[in-house]
Amino acid sequence: METLGFLAHGFAVAFTPLNIVLALIGCFLGTIIGALPGLGPVNGVAILIPVAFSLQLAPASALILLSCVYYGCMYGGRISSIMLNIPGDEPAMMTCLDGYPMAQKGKAPEALAISAIASFVGAILATIGLVLFAPLLVRFAIHFGPAEYFALYVLAFATIGGITGTNPAKTLLAAALGLALGTVGIDPQSGVPRFTFGVFELFDGFDAIVAIVGLFAISEVLVLLEEGHGGISARAVRVSRAFAQGREIAASAGAMLRGSVIGFVAGVLPGAGASLGSFLAYTMEKRYSDRRGTFGKGDPRGVAAPEAGNNAAAGGALVPMLSLGVPGSGTTAVLLALLISLNITPGPLLFQKEPDVVWGLIASLFFANFVLIAMNLPLVGLFTRMLAIPMWALMPFVVMVSFVGIYSISHSPFDLFMMVLFGVLGYVLRKLAIPVVPVVLGLLLGADMESNFRRALSISGGDYAILFQSGIAIGLYVLTLLFLALAVFLGMRERRPPGAEPEPAHD
Amino acid sequence: MTNGLSDRVAGAVLLALAVAFWVAAGQYAVTFGDPVGPAAFPKLVAVPLGLFSLYLIFRPDPDPRWFVWPGVVGQAATLAVLVLYPLLLEPLGFPLATALASAVLARVLGAAWLAALVLGVAVGGGLFLVFDSVLGLPLPLAPSFSF
Amino acid sequence: MFRRLGRVAAVAALILPLAAFSPQNPECIAPANPGGGWDFTCRTVGKLLTDTGLVSGQVQVTNMTGAVGAVAYANVASKRSDDPDLVVATSTVGITQIAQGKYPAGVDAMRWLAMLGADVGVVLVQKDSKFNSLQDLLAALKADPGSVVAAGSSGVGGWDHLRLLMLLEKAGMATDQLKSVKWVEFSGGGDAVTQLMGGHIGVVSTDIGEIGGFIQSGDVKVLGVMSGDRLEAFPDAPTAKEQGVDFEGYNWRGFYMGGKVSDEAYDGWLAIMQKLYESKEWQETAKSKGLTPIWRGGKDFEAFVRQSEENMRKVSKAIGVIK
Repeated sequence: METLGFLAHGFAVAFTPLNIVLALIGCFLGTIIGALPGLGPVNGVAILIPVAFSLQLAPASALILLSCVYYGCMYGGRISSIMLNIPGDEPAMMTCLDGYPMAQKGKAPEALAISAIASFVGAILATIGLVLFAPLLVRFAIHFGPAEYFALYVLAFATIGGITGTNPAKTLLAAALGLALGTVGIDPQSGVPRFTFGVFELFDGFDAIVAIVGLFAISEVLVLLEEGHGGISARAVRVSRAFAQGREIAASAGAMLRGSVIGFVAGVLPGAGASLGSFLAYTMEKRYSDRRGTFGKGDPRGVAAPEAGNNAAAGGALVPMLSLGVPGSGTTAVLLALLISLNITPGPLLFQKEPDVVWGLIASLFFANFVLIAMNLPLVGLFTRMLAIPMWALMPFVVMVSFVGIYSISHSPFDLFMMVLFGVLGYVLRKLAIPVVPVVLGLLLGADMESNFRRALSISGGDYAILFQSGIAIGLYVLTLLFLALAVFLGMRERRPPGAEPEPAHD
Repeated sequence: MTNGLSDRVAGAVLLALAVAFWVAAGQYAVTFGDPVGPAAFPKLVAVPLGLFSLYLIFRPDPDPRWFVWPGVVGQAATLAVLVLYPLLLEPLGFPLATALASAVLARVLGAAWLAALVLGVAVGGGLFLVFDSVLGLPLPLAPSFSF
Repeated sequence: MFRRLGRVAAVAALILPLAAFSPQNPECIAPANPGGGWDFTCRTVGKLLTDTGLVSGQVQVTNMTGAVGAVAYANVASKRSDDPDLVVATSTVGITQIAQGKYPAGVDAMRWLAMLGADVGVVLVQKDSKFNSLQDLLAALKADPGSVVAAGSSGVGGWDHLRLLMLLEKAGMATDQLKSVKWVEFSGGGDAVTQLMGGHIGVVSTDIGEIGGFIQSGDVKVLGVMSGDRLEAFPDAPTAKEQGVDFEGYNWRGFYMGGKVSDEAYDGWLAIMQKLYESKEWQETAKSKGLTPIWRGGKDFEAFVRQSEENMRKVSKAIGVIK
């Protein structure tokens, strides 16, 4: 009851004409920034902070604008994943796996509508979770020490083999390659530079955005040229309907709910974030409901789960940010910096000391999600028409936006060269039917996995027993073993009837 | 082409990478304060990398088709543009370099010359306006002759 | 100590003629990602410079991430060493890197402009910890250096680690024992404190600014603040000094310029920064962020940077971070 009172107060703060306009602008800008590869929530929010300053916005208003951008990005990232097979930002990567095949089958409107609704479900559930359980969740999150985080990453990577339709050995190889690439740079614990060959630009390792743009967007251009459809893309499947059919949406409701829960938990844990959220939501959903091997070939549930997951994680990440002052992801780190620059000290007292800001923010998140779903569903038709844009106009635009997005932040031509190298790597991997998604996952999450491994062993003084000492860690390992056993069992059963269903070729 | 040669070559390259990775990791050491050290995790990663590379060598998939003509010409041109672009970005200024690069990319992807030029000017000018003027992220504007 | 020097510097600056220099397109490089301390320095100072009219127009903030500031250092040294419009944010952390040979050039490659404030180091334990003072902690560590796990937001040999060891050494711990104190790196002070609350580690050494909220809420207990006097914002937190350990561990925030900038540009920026430091706006902003306003500029600051670099190199060698 008390909470409802606070929330009502929040809505009173949020619903000023100025804030509503700001929320609308933020949602719109966020959707666009999220949809453009190379521009994600982190640089989107960072770019707009000075804009918010120069507009002389009040703290609550500035925070509302930028959180709407943040949520907008989470909605927008899926659009280019589905339409172009190029993720608009890191967490939207998993949406490529089934979203793009759906679009190829002429189901782009369904994929876009399902992902929009899944985003909405995930985000709303996460925001409700934030309101109701924030203090409880914080008490849960602090039980996660380095050993528990490491176990969580083991669970994620051990189950990675099944995420793509291709040869599991190649998926695992790709993940190992990604983990190897992830170790490049200064080792945070010891400060030793590894595999940098003395190049200072490599000291911070490979930027995930640089890798994504290269592996997906540039390799896509190279593949496109090979197919020799000089002019208009032959991939564009004619879409007569601008709106989705309800049946597939209803069929993916369960996946949305499961994805939301998994994503939210991943988001609440500081340092895990939206990428891990959508990754786990997808792998768990595939394990849970992929009975006929339709995942990776355009299964609507494979779109619903990761989209619900990444939006729920985005909401979940606000729990540690608001109640502890610890960012749960890169974007919340930037929002945290914004709070600090607005003279608001984040930390455990934020809810008591700045109720206007916190509850105004939460109210605006509810509002933003309704705006976003209302904005995104009608836009499905517009986005679908993107397929009618000839590739010669679309791809140079996408590549140049990626370049400027990265260059305008880092000012380093080196990053642009790395992007081209990743493009060539992505092209070769795709020719060899080695999936690129696990490479990015390894690169994105490997450093955290290693850090927590090293932290755990620094605490124990090198005694490996610390990894298996807590109930949470043991539970996660048991879950990992169960999944692996299930995968082996299913693999053996599938092999019995010889040649029952030949694996379709992948490019 | 021998069946499976591509996977075997890729496997061999990645195996070599795994070995090099293991050896290079071995040099990283610290004097104190870090019981595991910076070498352990890269070594831990090198093992599956090597094992799955071996799998690729012994159980290769059928070869894909490399070098699809005339696509190769376009691919080479694209890579040339993408490599030259960062080098020309600062000397030529952002709008000009971007316009040139997107025009050539559009042409390679099959646009008519005029359409490619129009697109180039639109992308170069448009992105400059949005990033530099609206968002206030500084981009090099004019050709600089200091180089 | 800082305050007294600050006053001397302020008097000296008044005698200086007001330079006519004014940067045309003022730019501040933050050698880190948006959201970090250096980014904060650039953005806050940039905003205040514009608000107070000390520079005309907006101060352009450029993030040039890489290798704890080494990328920006290399870039400025090689490409922009005479740019009169450019200042670069730095802090104690940057000097630590230079002292340990992790930058491509030494302190001589740049002109050190000024520091405007400092975050203060603090030693924290869980709220129900058995340690109630620095001496309690010291006694336990002396008996068994591996008995308490320490953590902070830097890696081994980084400033959070180094200043804890310097404090312990000052408090009478043997130099060869220092190596046996366990140290764990976290990506931020807040992360480390969260892990402390969860009981995964025993003691945290980090900047007070970022984690002040946890002290006010009573979630953690302060064993010692590494400043000369108690901090206004945390009057109940005892200093190390009053517990008999005369050690100050600041993380100051300041700026450098390229090594070849003209005296005119350098003096011009120095005058601008000093006016900013004296402004009510900066004093208030700094305090609200948990920073203690401290001024050092020009030659005084150059000398201070050289001295700090030498001290840190000595300590790093003594405890074995560098050879």
